[in-house]
Amino acid sequence: MYRQTQTALLPLPDPPKQYLPLDGVKVSAGFPSPAADYEDARLDINEYLVRNPVSTFFFPVQGDSMQGAEIFDGDILVVDRSVRPSHGHIVIAFVNGERLVKRLYRRAGKVALVAEHSAYPPLPIGDGIDLEIWGVVVGKFKRMV
Amino acid sequence: MPVFALVDCNNFYASCEKLFDPKLKGKPVVVLSNNDGCVVARSAEVKALGIPMGVPWFQIREQARRHGIVAFSSNYALYADMSNRVVEVLSGFTSNIEVYSIDESFLEVSGFGNWPGGLTGYGGEIRQRIADWLGLAVCVGIAPTKTLAKLANHCAKKGLAGTAGVCDFTTMAPETLTCLLGRIEVGEVWGVGRKIGARLDAMGIKTVRELRDMDAETIRARFSVVLERTVRELRGVSCLALEELVPDRQQIISSRSFGTLVYDLADLEEAVASYIAKAAVKLRAQDSLAGGVQVYIRTNIFKPEVPQYQRGVTMPLPEASADTRVLTAWALKVLRRIYRPGFGYHKAGVMLLNLVPRSSRQFALFDAQGGAMDGRSERLMGVLDSINGRYGRGALRLAAEGVDRSWQMRRGNLSPGYTTSWAGLPRVRAN
Repeated sequence: MYRQTQTALLPLPDPPKQYLPLDGVKVSAGFPSPAADYEDARLDINEYLVRNPVSTFFFPVQGDSMQGAEIFDGDILVVDRSVRPSHGHIVIAFVNGERLVKRLYRRAGKVALVAEHSAYPPLPIGDGIDLEIWGVVVGKFKRMV
Repeated sequence: MPVFALVDCNNFYASCEKLFDPKLKGKPVVVLSNNDGCVVARSAEVKALGIPMGVPWFQIREQARRHGIVAFSSNYALYADMSNRVVEVLSGFTSNIEVYSIDESFLEVSGFGNWPGGLTGYGGEIRQRIADWLGLAVCVGIAPTKTLAKLANHCAKKGLAGTAGVCDFTTMAPETLTCLLGRIEVGEVWGVGRKIGARLDAMGIKTVRELRDMDAETIRARFSVVLERTVRELRGVSCLALEELVPDRQQIISSRSFGTLVYDLADLEEAVASYIAKAAVKLRAQDSLAGGVQVYIRTNIFKPEVPQYQRGVTMPLPEASADTRVLTAWALKVLRRIYRPGFGYHKAGVMLLNLVPRSSRQFALFDAQGGAMDGRSERLMGVLDSINGRYGRGALRLAAEGVDRSWQMRRGNLSPGYTTSWAGLPRVRAN
């Protein structure tokens, strides 16, 4: 039988560490750290690339037709559906069952999807072409190594 | 006086599939349940073909081939992500929100009557923003009670009333509403199932209007207080409030039917270990510890001609834990005790129960290692969860969970994780 007659508090051999945020610690004397006001300032790439996370989706690129707009094969596009597409935007377009990335031309009642490469002619949108502008490309990213 | 809006996604699973695949435009699409068993979602085109909800896939396979129906296995990761996005958009409208199911939310909107176009305009704005931002169609039903908001949503969806996917009972003249409710079958009322519907029908109550005008006392005497409350709600007296806070789960279940029958203990062990792993992630996400583990296994009860066996045993743990290794060890101990050779097992499941918040844990009185293991275990589990969060579920797992997973659920036509995995992102053509 186990019998305990006495209670003692002993330190654990490997106590769990307690981490405290620096700005939660009051320094009462001495010269305050000049960095104290700049806690939590580490940059997050999401903040830069994604303005509205809820409406943002990613699409990898296949092909070179948009290289004039600095969009290259393998880039991952950041697409924000909360941006209203307008003339000049680079957009994801669903055309006749394909997912395309093109620049949107919309002037004087004419609509076209334009590539950024001399080898690819513009695609005028007329009757018989089923077009859905899916979203506006607001950025891109790629991992190199 | 409260006003409720029910926002309900149209053909939610099928719409998620269509959203990323332009080849599906205008095509009939169905989504199948686990193991590709039954139709659980239908696109508008499939509904137009008269294919009912819940029909077993094998029964309509021939019809599907004729009509070019595209069938998908359930892509839960995709649906969950899109559902969370819908809720996030709705949260931008009001914080008074109850997430009722994966594709339905109630909003309390009485404070927005001054919106341009009133509450109807507000509903339209919600609908437009979800269409713009997420590419999903929703219907909005607005009414002074949740039960009526559900019906208003039904009217919007079926085009019985309202315009452009929004139906607002609060702006409808009483006689118009009465007339409308007289055209809707009583079975459409929230909480009136098939059984109650049949009993009401036998009493001559066939429409919503007839139920609404029943004597509430009689309904209580013949049925229940629950149905009496429904009657009051149909009259515009709000009895059901928004249930905003979702309490932490008291138990966490993870179970699946197997793709093929499983005979070997080793295969069952892998399955049980992987269910524990999945449940333990949820356990840690809500910052709880489990005080007990239940494991159950069973043969296919729908095939009475084969030998039947089922057994479930609960094991209280000496000390509450959230460590996958500890939970797995106990679960496998239970499994080995209940396993009988010679049966074809169809389903296995685990349940974590007696959950307690991490903060209020009690150490075992005679725990040899004291709390010393605790910090280490917590850190290891944190690493496990963050690696699996980054590289996909199961990227890092206990060897007990197995490698080839021959028992795994059959998901023959699963679409990619368009929004949830780097490998599944939808490619765009630039050529």
